[in-house]
Amino acid sequence: MTDLPMIDLLGFWLGIFLTFCILSFLYKDNPFYKFAEHLFIGVSISYVITQQYYNVLRPKLVDRLAHADHWFWTWDVFALILVVLMFVKVMSSRLGWLGRYPLAFVVALYAGLQINGVAQADLGQQIQRATKNMDLRKVNVNKMCKQSDDDERKACIERQEKALAGVPGISSVVAVKVRKGAEQKPFGSLDDIAKLATLSEAERSTFSAARGSVIGTDAKAATTSGQRDWFGIFSQILLFIGLLASLVYFYFSVEHKGTIGKISRFGVWVLMIGFGASFGLTVQGRIALAIGRVQDVAGTNMTKHQADQIHGPVVALVSVGIIIAGLVIWELREKRKRQAGPTSGGEK
Amino acid sequence: MAEARKQDWIDKLHDFDRRWIFLAMGIAIIVPFFFPLGLPVQVSPMVRSVYDTVEELHEGDVVFLSLDMDPASVPELQPFYKAVLLQLKQKRVKIAIATTWYAAPPMLERWIRETVEANFVPDDAPAEKGLPDRDHVKNKLAKSKEGRYVKNVDYVWLGFREGKEAVISGMGKDLHDTFDGRAADGTKLSDIPWMKDRRQLKDFKLLILVSAGFPGIKEYVQQVQARYKLRMVGSCTAVSTTDLTPYYDSGQLLGLAGGMTAAAEYEKLVNHRGSGTQGAEVLNVGHIVVILAIIFGNIIFFVGRARERKRRAA
Repeated sequence: MTDLPMIDLLGFWLGIFLTFCILSFLYKDNPFYKFAEHLFIGVSISYVITQQYYNVLRPKLVDRLAHADHWFWTWDVFALILVVLMFVKVMSSRLGWLGRYPLAFVVALYAGLQINGVAQADLGQQIQRATKNMDLRKVNVNKMCKQSDDDERKACIERQEKALAGVPGISSVVAVKVRKGAEQKPFGSLDDIAKLATLSEAERSTFSAARGSVIGTDAKAATTSGQRDWFGIFSQILLFIGLLASLVYFYFSVEHKGTIGKISRFGVWVLMIGFGASFGLTVQGRIALAIGRVQDVAGTNMTKHQADQIHGPVVALVSVGIIIAGLVIWELREKRKRQAGPTSGGEK
Repeated sequence: MAEARKQDWIDKLHDFDRRWIFLAMGIAIIVPFFFPLGLPVQVSPMVRSVYDTVEELHEGDVVFLSLDMDPASVPELQPFYKAVLLQLKQKRVKIAIATTWYAAPPMLERWIRETVEANFVPDDAPAEKGLPDRDHVKNKLAKSKEGRYVKNVDYVWLGFREGKEAVISGMGKDLHDTFDGRAADGTKLSDIPWMKDRRQLKDFKLLILVSAGFPGIKEYVQQVQARYKLRMVGSCTAVSTTDLTPYYDSGQLLGLAGGMTAAAEYEKLVNHRGSGTQGAEVLNVGHIVVILAIIFGNIIFFVGRARERKRRAA
């Protein structure tokens, strides 16, 4: 185990101190908070400028122009002209309009990329998903692939294994074992799958834990063909109605009253449930950030050797001590200033 | 007199200082952190799908790992990164690592040193109870010398490229061209045998995306997944989960692990108790405080409204 370099240690200590500086805002706006805030902004901006220079401007522009020899020079000069035009916007109000060209170039480039991507990935694929057959059937675990043609049989096996892997509690590895098991002796019930000798203990326990007739294994798989997945059908209908109702809420060409009003109201409820889920997850993310800071201070998300070198809890206590002492001194000075304020103001 | 006292009490609660909630949250985080409750972790289908997809890889396969994140998202994403890396190392899968976030490289270079090139599972880590024999063997492998990956032999660090969606689209077309044909340390990609013929993202067996926002999973799906029909799994921050779940439902993502709780589930699957498992437990207690705060706020609101109506009626 190598020791952490001094610069890394200082980084960890500064990180802990700055965390408490930011938290001191809970008391009130104060110099410690201001210091941490300004330091963060300053470091961020300088980091961005350095990173952009070394990763973009130098290799893509400076180096290329320095080593350019023939015709493609012009393309690099074109990039340089666009960069210069950006600065014209802030340096001259008369020629400011020239700054629109690089912006137009960037906007057009990303609009082109986005239109293509959104149309293919969001619109096309999601419409395909929304128009899925509503009459969902359970996967038949005993389905046999007995085609005489080898290619057809192979394709059938692939389809069957893929379908089985979509059932809760059945991984792609288990799917192969289940298919082979059914080929040897068809399953009388889903309980027989758990008794397969080829399953490991972990796979067996995962399968048993996923059993359930509403959304579990029993809801999605059966030992005979043609059985319906009723909860799946209900979910599909709910999704379809929810989608239409949400769209109606945003349709303003008809007044939202009567039946349309009721559908629109249902659409609002669907949207609210969606926003509620987003809000809950946002809260989760924010709490996770706080947990991350506690883990850093306590040293639980690093090796024991590193934690022993950093002494996070001690640094935290020292930081809190410094901040409290600093705040007391600052408050006393502020109090003195306030007391002296009216007199000095009068003198002026 | 009694009525007046009651009104004062409600008024006071109405102007309740929100810092009390922060204090309650602070206590809710710190107490279970030091006194764990041992709450169970249930693996969700989306997370299991990620695990199963990675589990399908074989020794020598090459995956593309995009770590699009910054230090602010470490608590949510690092546990998943470590867990999936452990799984990849157990399978001896080769990894090409890149990022599209400018804030990531210094942090990722440290992670690579500490987790890819070194064993991050301590040699003295206790075996988990109920661990199947197969996993014991794998865990031993991850802790052994073979768990140490060698730069440009077992993994390649491509570094960062600015350009967001344009870079992702570029990687789909020509990865070598996007990174000027070189790894971050200057090694020619054509000199690395397993990278020589992998010129596009579709040449990789699987894309593993660890994403904190823009650009990230969404942009990978939009720019390259639909066009090249790539196999992708991802891990995202909790706040992005609802936006990305439709991609899992439509099959564009083969699995999705959202936030710290999903990371804890993944740690359970790979049998490595890390900061995700510890964090998820604390998170549960934190959520109880949030739920109580919501109930408390609503009671104050409705009682206050009823009182206001009563006053108006009088």
